[in-house]
Amino acid sequence: MDATFFLLDITVLYSVYMILSVSLDLEYGEAGLPNFAKAAFFALGAFSVGALSVRLGAFLLGVGIEGDFKLNSLRYVMAINQSISKDPLLGLTIFSMTLITAISVSSIAGVLASYPALRLREDYLGMLLIAFSETIRVIARNYEPLVGGTFGVGVVDFLAWARAPQREQLFLLISIILASLVWIVYYRLSTSPFGRALRAIRDNELATESLGRDVVKLRMKVMVLGSAMASVAGVIYAYYVGMVNPDDFTTSKTFLVTLMVIIGGRGNPLGAIAGPAVYLAFDRFIQFVKQRIILPFDPNYLSYIILGAILILIVNKRPGGLVPEKPTITLPGEIKRLLRRENYR
Amino acid sequence: MIMDLLLDAIIYGNLLSLLAVGLSLTLLTTKVANFAHGDFAAVGIYVAYTLSIIFNASPYLFLPASFVSGALLGLVIYRVVFDPLRERASLVTLMVVSMALDFILRYSIHICADVLQRSLRVFSRGIIFNDVSVNLLGLSVLGLFFISTVVTTIFLVLLYLFLFKTKVGVATRAVIENPALSEALGISVRRIYALSWMLSVAFACVAGVFLPFRITVNPDTGFSMLLSIFAAVTLGGLESLLGSVIGAYIIAFSETLGVYYLSQLGISTAYRPAISFATLTLVLLVYPRGIAGLWSKR
Repeated sequence: MDATFFLLDITVLYSVYMILSVSLDLEYGEAGLPNFAKAAFFALGAFSVGALSVRLGAFLLGVGIEGDFKLNSLRYVMAINQSISKDPLLGLTIFSMTLITAISVSSIAGVLASYPALRLREDYLGMLLIAFSETIRVIARNYEPLVGGTFGVGVVDFLAWARAPQREQLFLLISIILASLVWIVYYRLSTSPFGRALRAIRDNELATESLGRDVVKLRMKVMVLGSAMASVAGVIYAYYVGMVNPDDFTTSKTFLVTLMVIIGGRGNPLGAIAGPAVYLAFDRFIQFVKQRIILPFDPNYLSYIILGAILILIVNKRPGGLVPEKPTITLPGEIKRLLRRENYR
Repeated sequence: MIMDLLLDAIIYGNLLSLLAVGLSLTLLTTKVANFAHGDFAAVGIYVAYTLSIIFNASPYLFLPASFVSGALLGLVIYRVVFDPLRERASLVTLMVVSMALDFILRYSIHICADVLQRSLRVFSRGIIFNDVSVNLLGLSVLGLFFISTVVTTIFLVLLYLFLFKTKVGVATRAVIENPALSEALGISVRRIYALSWMLSVAFACVAGVFLPFRITVNPDTGFSMLLSIFAAVTLGGLESLLGSVIGAYIIAFSETLGVYYLSQLGISTAYRPAISFATLTLVLLVYPRGIAGLWSKR
């Protein structure tokens, strides 16, 4: 039982971080767009669940929500969970509806965010997106009808109909499936002409444009895709934690995801697998050590300092990350083999 | 009431202009959109606070100490972090590195605050400094208003004199214009970069000393000011020191007055960052040359 929970915790967190890394790798690693509003798109997914799961559940059950949403959400969550435990279809409807809403909301936000992405120097774009991300958080924090402000809001358990171990296994399965799906989409895109066009834009925008690629459209597509992926991570996270709180989505989250992408290796699909794994291993190690040593200060602070130092070290000593990007060779198989033989000599 | 508001806006503008000038200085020279800039102010706060407790004196007395430690910190940061990346890292990489630096600094200050709390048995979060009142021509003025205005004016004038009247300052401007050409003419670009980092961090540390007179502070305070600093620099046109000073006062006035009128309308003052964000977005998208576009020909 304990092992199941441990496995569930690791897997779900890993899936969430992997999806986020994939989405940032697609935008930043492949297309060269520093989307430092990652936390905001992640949050949009979670907020969709936070704002809708209870309301949707109440609507489907034909109950109106009375009183303050912030104060009463947990009470409604309990009532809806009881109905779901008898009616699996209700839970699955809520899950799929919130997932669809999350993806569409953040896709629209992605289109909006791609508008400045076309005209700004990349560091100013990053600056603007970070400011955007903080503003979203501040609004969510103070506008209580959305997700309950600083108080947070409860989330329906859409798997309430399954019994204890099966429920966890099911959740684990769903998160693995979603994460693999996102990764496969990324892998297919990265190794296709689309991915090569993106890397070409990153390396030389003018040359790519002169070769007939529509830079504007490609960038917009990438932003929409990346934002939609990040919101899927937000949905998984919200249902897993069972609570949505705006203060979970600070720019520190964006920094952590950027760290994972850079550790893993920008522009390489394998990097998006390696990065989050390294981060999670480090995080668990710190949690483990924390209980065994006594320091005159909070050890979490030390772990953040170490993470920052690691990033600076990697940028200096190994800018490609653990799995550096490989040059793309698109030649017929025979010539490829010949080239390879040439290299061995 | 309106008088208090104006005083508050000027004090905030003084603070913000010291911070914005520093940020745009490093942006101009080393091209780092520095996300750790707010944390330098926090360093200043804790240096002054620690010294004022040890020596049991007013924090104003430790402005020079704060300046010097800021300059040293700037030198170390440039030498250790940004010098190895010079001409090697892209703009975004530099920005990511500055985020890492923000993490390192902010949580180091947290650790220092924890240690301070344990060793000296004083509060190290939610600090506020006691102000003195200054007698000026028979009028009793808030010490913070007087001292911060004087200090800011002196610093900005000195910076102007340095940049336009001294040889090193002229070299600095040459490096900003064209690093490769300046290097060919025998200017040590790295030394100029190091100097600009020292000045930038030192200015921010001095600004930090004024902060706890105005609001209660903790190690995250500096970081939370970052959006306003960036808004000021952007409004100033991103590549102009004078522009960012003017931008800082405009942002300070619009934030202070805007929040006041918002609260009159019954809207929560917590939406304050929205003012900075709106300015940042509008300027970047509509007129990225900002205030400096009014006189700059480029």
